[in-house]
Amino acid sequence: MSEAGLADLVGVTISVITNDGRNIVGTLKGYDQATNVILDDCHERVYSTKTGVEQLVLGLYVIRGDNIAVVGEVDDELDSQIDLGQISAAPLKPLAH
Amino acid sequence: MLPLLLLKTAQGHPVLVELKNGETYNGHMVQCDSWMNVHLREVICTSKDGDRFWRMPETKIRGNTIKYLRVPDEVIDKVKEDSFKRDEKRPNVARGRGRGRAVGGRESGPGGRGGGRSVPGAPARGRGRGRGE
Repeated sequence: MSEAGLADLVGVTISVITNDGRNIVGTLKGYDQATNVILDDCHERVYSTKTGVEQLVLGLYVIRGDNIAVVGEVDDELDSQIDLGQISAAPLKPLAH
Repeated sequence: MLPLLLLKTAQGHPVLVELKNGETYNGHMVQCDSWMNVHLREVICTSKDGDRFWRMPETKIRGNTIKYLRVPDEVIDKVKEDSFKRDEKRPNVARGRGRGRAVGGRESGPGGRGGGRSVPGAPARGRGRGRGE
């Protein structure tokens, strides 16, 4: 991690948290100055307290930077060890300001 | 790869646009610009709660109201083709912006600035730096 940009995450699995509280995971294919982001093969992880984490397949997305709160790198190996079906958590609330 | 380039490539393809207010628009991308303003045709608009629908022949959406766009998977492969084609078309052309001109030529090449076109029979016009001769 030499600089603040997303350059070294291109081609890597990332997790995006959007302003409306969604968690989208996919491969970063590109980005720009406004933090608009291309996510390939992405899916949404829907958290709920009643059931495990549900994964919705989304496909190829362009997410507008305005709507992005957090971008994080995903360790694929670690991630594959997580049994999401067994995890339940309250969903994030939408960002408020 | 730039997100806006992907959207340009998606022209002619079906896309889904979700707005910040939660409405979604399904339609064929006609055009998009560098502000992410998007022009769709044959649109189905869905309300935020997903139980009301409107059909409209065309829609223009202001870019800054967009939350995200869903694009068909195959579009990302076409972006690569497009940029490759562009590279093929202009081999060995110096890229980049800035001042300066080609070495060894006076007002030659695309780097030059100024210099008027002369119209036959009209007095010569044109601005540009002269050589003080």
